[in-house]
Amino acid sequence: MSSHLQITHLRKRFGGLVAVKDVSFDVADGEVVGLLGPNGSGKTTVLNMISGALLPTAGEITLRGVRISRLRPDRIARHGVARTFQLVRPLPSLTVAENVLVSLAFGRFKHWGPDARDLAEEKLAFVGLGGRGGENVANLTYIDQKRMELARALASEPALLLLDEWLAGLTPSELQIGIDLVRRLQGAGMSVLLVEHIMDAVRALCARCVVMNAGEIIAHGPTETVLKDPGVVAAYLGDGHA
Amino acid sequence: MSTTVAFILAAAALAGLAVAPLFLNAYGIGLLVGMTGYVVLASAWAMFSGPTRYVSLATVAFFGIGAYTVAVLSETLPYPLVLLCACAIGLTVALIVGLSTLRLAGIYFVIFTFGLAELIRQLVTWYEVNVTGTLGRYIFLPFEGIHIYWQLLALAAVTLLLSWWISRSRLGLALRAVGDDEVVAAHAGINVSRAKLMLFALSATIITLVGAIQAPRWVYVEPAIVFNPTISFLTLIMALLGGATRLWGPALGAVPLFLLFEWLSANFPNYFSIILGIFFICIVFFLPQGVLAKIEGLRRPAGKVPPEDKERSGAA
Repeated sequence: MSSHLQITHLRKRFGGLVAVKDVSFDVADGEVVGLLGPNGSGKTTVLNMISGALLPTAGEITLRGVRISRLRPDRIARHGVARTFQLVRPLPSLTVAENVLVSLAFGRFKHWGPDARDLAEEKLAFVGLGGRGGENVANLTYIDQKRMELARALASEPALLLLDEWLAGLTPSELQIGIDLVRRLQGAGMSVLLVEHIMDAVRALCARCVVMNAGEIIAHGPTETVLKDPGVVAAYLGDGHA
Repeated sequence: MSTTVAFILAAAALAGLAVAPLFLNAYGIGLLVGMTGYVVLASAWAMFSGPTRYVSLATVAFFGIGAYTVAVLSETLPYPLVLLCACAIGLTVALIVGLSTLRLAGIYFVIFTFGLAELIRQLVTWYEVNVTGTLGRYIFLPFEGIHIYWQLLALAAVTLLLSWWISRSRLGLALRAVGDDEVVAAHAGINVSRAKLMLFALSATIITLVGAIQAPRWVYVEPAIVFNPTISFLTLIMALLGGATRLWGPALGAVPLFLLFEWLSANFPNYFSIILGIFFICIVFFLPQGVLAKIEGLRRPAGKVPPEDKERSGAA
């Protein structure tokens, strides 16, 4: 299978702190890969470099063979990378539909006009917010804001979706809804890089995982193998449990 | 349908305003000139600052550039070319300033724009004193108040039309997204710097034109008159009072406040600045979203919050 997202020798230094040391991995076309690791291990930093929020200190990121590292975030978005944020970031002065419309109008295919309105409604229906496009974002519940953010990310019709702890903070029943949504994306052939702490979700969604600790990859492979890896257990729970 | 009606009403209002000065004396026309000038200033200011929430105090920098361009060039070039030159200079300064400062956020941008206006005033003063050897300049153009008024009225119509068009365009949506969250906007594919720069330049060019068109009215200009920072503050307060994110907001704020300040400066010239300051504080405290938003808020049934919100707030 062709390598969709390819990350090679990625490095990020903040002053004296090296947050990401030498990270290389890939995501194949239509694959959902988990990016795990304890807090502060550099997962979100890697995600931020892929989406262009941060510039890498060294290393390369390519999407379908096109180098996207060192591009501005809006250029990367138009190359087909969409993301959600660790803490939901709705655009509060816009309605629910307008939030989605932003990605439609400026994403890969630049939809505008009545056609874009229909597409926004379609994306909202997909995440379970059908018919609620006219509402004020502030009136949405937490999970509905997360749904809206997913619809906004999907509206740019991305080639790669980055989910940054998208399932965090949900109740068990909401979590199941969230997992089902991501699974439907998987079924539709979307490539996803999933930063997640909830192991049930990772097991349910990812065939393959990359685990980071202190800025380095400490394990990489099929999910079940990786989660049993003594190094991974030690990183999460401390050395005594290994 | 309702758009058509609104357009017809606006066109009728415009026609009414165009013939109004024929029935007024010189003082009345003077009021109309000042009022229309501020309607354009406030609307142009809100065009950029409303959606993006970048509070600019550079209004008078561009206003003064426009007025000074007319003062310098009115005897050597035909009037339409003078206006064109003013536009070009205002646009160039706006692009240079925009490219170097639109990365600044919040209070830094406010202070920078305030400083910019002061800097340009000092530069012009220095140039006039040291190079041309004279501080003030006379403008002799064969315009009466009514001619200036008609020009400003046309500019007001164009400005409102542009604002309306932008608010319905992709650019308008982009600006509102940028005003909410620049990071999210960029990740949705918006070229944030370009969107801000385009609107800043457009707004600044219109403001420059207001200065240029009004200049002949003073006959005598000097930096202290045309670079008076009160113009920046008045514009800001007017736009905020009406509501900077609405098409008619700035105009609705500009008309009553202009008349009020006109009355105050005639009757209480010594306390004018104090009253202006108090007004500023009151508007920011009591009407942060403007009068129009307040009226809409009153008309909407109060206390309607979906019940889920309360449940969620603890868990989130």
